[in-house]
Amino acid sequence: MKISFNINGRNVKLDVDPMRRLLDVLRDDLELTDIKESCGEGECGACTIILDDKPVTSCILNAVHADGKKILTANGISKTRIGEILLDCFDQTNSVQCGFCFPGFYVTAYHYLITDGEPSLEKIRYALSGNICRCTGYKKIFESVIMACERLQEGS
Amino acid sequence: MRSPRKVDARSKINGSHKFIDDYIFPDMIYGYLYYARCHHGYIRKITFPEEFDLKNFIIIDYKDIPGRNIVPEPEPDQPFLVENEVYHYGQIIMGIAHPNKAILKQFVEKIEIEYEELTALTDIKECLEDESNAFGREIIIDQRQSLEPRSEWIKTSAVYYTAHQEQAYLETQGMIAIYNQDQRSIYVLGTMQCPYFVKEAVEMIMGDKITEVVIETAEGIGGAFGGKEDFPNILAGVASLLAYKAEKPVKIVLERSDDIVITTKRHPSRVEIETYTDPVTNKIRKLKIDYRLDAGGYLTLSPVVLSRGVLHSFGGYNIRDVFIHGRLLRSNTPSNGAFRGFGAPQAFFAIESHIDKIAGDLKIDPLELRMKNILQKDDRMPTTQIIREDHILDCLNRVIEKSDYKQKYIEFQEYNQHHDNKKGIGISICFHGGGYTGNGEKVLQSKVKMTIEKDAAVNIYVANTDMGQGAHTTLAQMVSETLDHPLNKTRVVIPNTSKTPNSGPTVASRTIYIIGNLLCDLSLQIKKEIQGNLDEYVRSHNTLFPKEYSRCFTPDPTVVFDDKTYLGTGYKDYSWAACVCEVFYQTSIFKLDLKKIWTVLDIGIPVNPKIAEGQVEGGLLQAMGYALTEYFYKPDFGRMHGFTDYILPTTLDTPEMDIEFIHTDSDFAKGLGEIPMNYPAPAIRNAFHHATGIFIDEIPLTPERIYENIKGKS
Amino acid sequence: MKFIKPSSLPDLFDRLQNYEGRKFFLAGGSDINIQIKNRMIRDEPIFYINHLDELRGIQVVDDTVIIGALTSYADIISSPILKEKLPFFRNSLKLFASPLLQSVATIGGNIANSSPTADILPLLLVLDAEVRLLTRSKLRFIPINEFYTGYKEYVMKTNEIIGSVHINIDAEKNWLAYYRKVGSRQSLTIAKLALAGIMKLKENSITAIKIAAGALNEYPRRLTTTENYLKSKRKEDIADKELKEVLTEDITPITDLRSDKNYRFDVCLNLIKEFINSY
Repeated sequence: MKISFNINGRNVKLDVDPMRRLLDVLRDDLELTDIKESCGEGECGACTIILDDKPVTSCILNAVHADGKKILTANGISKTRIGEILLDCFDQTNSVQCGFCFPGFYVTAYHYLITDGEPSLEKIRYALSGNICRCTGYKKIFESVIMACERLQEGS
Repeated sequence: MRSPRKVDARSKINGSHKFIDDYIFPDMIYGYLYYARCHHGYIRKITFPEEFDLKNFIIIDYKDIPGRNIVPEPEPDQPFLVENEVYHYGQIIMGIAHPNKAILKQFVEKIEIEYEELTALTDIKECLEDESNAFGREIIIDQRQSLEPRSEWIKTSAVYYTAHQEQAYLETQGMIAIYNQDQRSIYVLGTMQCPYFVKEAVEMIMGDKITEVVIETAEGIGGAFGGKEDFPNILAGVASLLAYKAEKPVKIVLERSDDIVITTKRHPSRVEIETYTDPVTNKIRKLKIDYRLDAGGYLTLSPVVLSRGVLHSFGGYNIRDVFIHGRLLRSNTPSNGAFRGFGAPQAFFAIESHIDKIAGDLKIDPLELRMKNILQKDDRMPTTQIIREDHILDCLNRVIEKSDYKQKYIEFQEYNQHHDNKKGIGISICFHGGGYTGNGEKVLQSKVKMTIEKDAAVNIYVANTDMGQGAHTTLAQMVSETLDHPLNKTRVVIPNTSKTPNSGPTVASRTIYIIGNLLCDLSLQIKKEIQGNLDEYVRSHNTLFPKEYSRCFTPDPTVVFDDKTYLGTGYKDYSWAACVCEVFYQTSIFKLDLKKIWTVLDIGIPVNPKIAEGQVEGGLLQAMGYALTEYFYKPDFGRMHGFTDYILPTTLDTPEMDIEFIHTDSDFAKGLGEIPMNYPAPAIRNAFHHATGIFIDEIPLTPERIYENIKGKS
Repeated sequence: MKFIKPSSLPDLFDRLQNYEGRKFFLAGGSDINIQIKNRMIRDEPIFYINHLDELRGIQVVDDTVIIGALTSYADIISSPILKEKLPFFRNSLKLFASPLLQSVATIGGNIANSSPTADILPLLLVLDAEVRLLTRSKLRFIPINEFYTGYKEYVMKTNEIIGSVHINIDAEKNWLAYYRKVGSRQSLTIAKLALAGIMKLKENSITAIKIAAGALNEYPRRLTTTENYLKSKRKEDIADKELKEVLTEDITPITDLRSDKNYRFDVCLNLIKEFINSY
């Protein structure tokens, strides 16, 4: 099946099996390795992307789900102004450890920043509750997102 | 103490950092580890699906091994590939490769194997209870004094159990092997902790078919926690053999549902403790410990885990009359292996739970009992090692003070009289020996290398990998600070056995403590030579560069350990810690939650305090999972198959954490990686007792276990 | 596996005529892809319907809130209509799965998947929701209470699809409501059990009560025997032993990898008491 979508601002046309996992299409066909696979069942968030304005785990989606849609990944986000602020906050707190879950956290946190952005620990914990990290204990991740919220509020 | 940013953070956040599954080589094909779906038995018949043309697949079994079918490290008793008898579920039988991932998957799913099933021991308790399952490795520390227990001494005895724990690194195991026909060499790139173990493994399986093996780690290692200490040996071995046969690069990256089933876990344990305590002085007079681990199907790492477990089993107390018996038992389950703490979390769960049990028998505050017996300066461990510092006491005092333990201990008792849901507070204290046990570091003789380039860039070559713990940032920082040279001109080169010397495996909280300090020594040596600013020196002596420097670990001759009696200096330096846990128990659903944890640690200098804190935060949360939700096997229902079933803490389960390092003005950095995993579990269990008056001697404290315990007693 | 992407709803019904047997509808994908991965779906035809936007959206028609089958949990949670009209229902949904899964999981998919642990079903049961089933030419309403007949079995026929879910606009108005999901952790958790209840109290007497439980039977059900026992009882007249006996009629918990039957039973009992005593 022919599908087309926009990914990180780039239009893509593909002829693929519509049932292939979207994650595989992005990683294998488009070589977008900023999307990671960990659990393969939607339970860890390592493969999170933004699909038409919502953060989703691409391992439980199919190629057909992307047809006609807009996708944003960690790499795309890092090139935005808000994405750069968030990245700097994650970096400044030394929150990153193995980093395998991080593109996923980055995407989800970015979505929180652009849709809510309140520096509330409670809200941030909830927003990130579909992403699993085994290294950090989450504490510095929360701190980073709060810091990014505050920086954005100051800036605006 | 400064916390420079991590060298790899930005690329990890934006996803450009490369992990093993992100590498692609020309002509690369994909491999799969075909494993046994049988607990114990003989392979009678293997049937491949007819609808596939076998010509298109590369299939190897034990008969294809040109070298020896034995994984050399750590204990050479496990075959790479099953020969005839399957000894545990998940044991690798074949390696299979094909250019197309999807076709490979369809093919392997349709392979059928007939087994002649033999009796299998898969139940953890059944294994641990029965001494006749002994695996033939025992450790005894016998420091019994001739004194008979006095009649007025209080005897306290109990048996403590812990379950499997899965490392659950977010990145699954993976390797790419490339065979070079002309040079008869094999190159393996992968996610691992110990490149030199992997090198030995590939040499072993390939035998004289190759003349050179080079192992390199991927740019990123997506978590390990011990899980990538020994399994990569098998994986790299099989990948290499497939690559040799295919004459093409072979990539094997495990799916989570396979990874969780076939790789190593933390050993389940059964620790029986018997003590006699003098009720007048509250001094523990006699201690007897029977420490048992379920090793799984093969020994592999278990003897060393046992060794560390035994050497931590007596806890941070000054007890003279001690008898410890450590042993391994065998079951038909995947071999258990390394996991942060390495036998110590099991040991501390038992001893720190037991201390509260004694306090219960004596009807005193568990803090008071700890204070009476805690190891102090010039006290002797049961191994006869004399402790030269009071730091464990300092940790305890500080954590009691900052958590307001004494006040809360009373307040919560009051609260609980009037509320259905309960609050509780519990303590534990702990230590962790840095580096290899006993004579291990002496045997390892780690070597580190540095080069100084013509532009005064400093390259550090160590075999220790950065699996997320920040080692490569911290090591570079140590060198940069010692040399007084900019950090952005100092870096650790990705380990590659063709240029990186063998500085030993990335395990045992040794990377900063042994390797980092060794690099500091080497840096001091260089500094002495250059007498001033490195940049200037290189500029004025440019013809001398690039120049290579190296240094070997020199063991301290005063450190003596007897491998037979297990007496002497188990570890030259210990890190110390204490914690207080506050819990909330919801009576209606029997659910225990950790609300807050305070911990105070002495790890010497925290080189990069933010990285160090991050290590503690992550370790504490893993320990909470260990205490409350994580188990891998349920009798009659088998094992977990993925992250839906295996319950890792989420952002919403995370407790408040208060972390403090003390004695940071010390001379050097000690071990840090493992200790945070060692001690929260018993503190949580002790807090549960404080909340409810119920002692449960087994973790995880799932609602179902708590329920059974309460119902069983009523 | 055969993939079919109909061009429109009528086209879907046309094509359905050719597939009498087992088949699956792919909406958000969160359940179907797990079943494919676990080989529970192999060669069955898959109808992609996620693009049929007439099945998506929330509206109020007369006294009914209508939620299109393809509406995602995220859309339900963020809907101002739900926030205003059915706040208890809406707030309870926040505990489902995880925010990432809420973005894709649909209400129709959750009903069709008919998992005994489906988080939403106890809520729909106590709110007397109805499911609108569509065929090419007919539509019918089935109360959710009569939708399931056994483990993963329902009254929906092979030529029907779920069009929408209908909840009366006053379904929670003037009711005291309770929802509790018991899982192994706070997020990303499959319920060990879940209990939803609404009741009316008059001077400590229960004048009306509806309770439904998830993960305690082959499919989520109203606990009718228990409801009948509690109805018109004064709170202080509820006897533990009697409550336990009637509950035995209503639930048949099992032991599995996630939890144990005795635990499930006693916690269900506790939650019913907690519900009643919380008001």
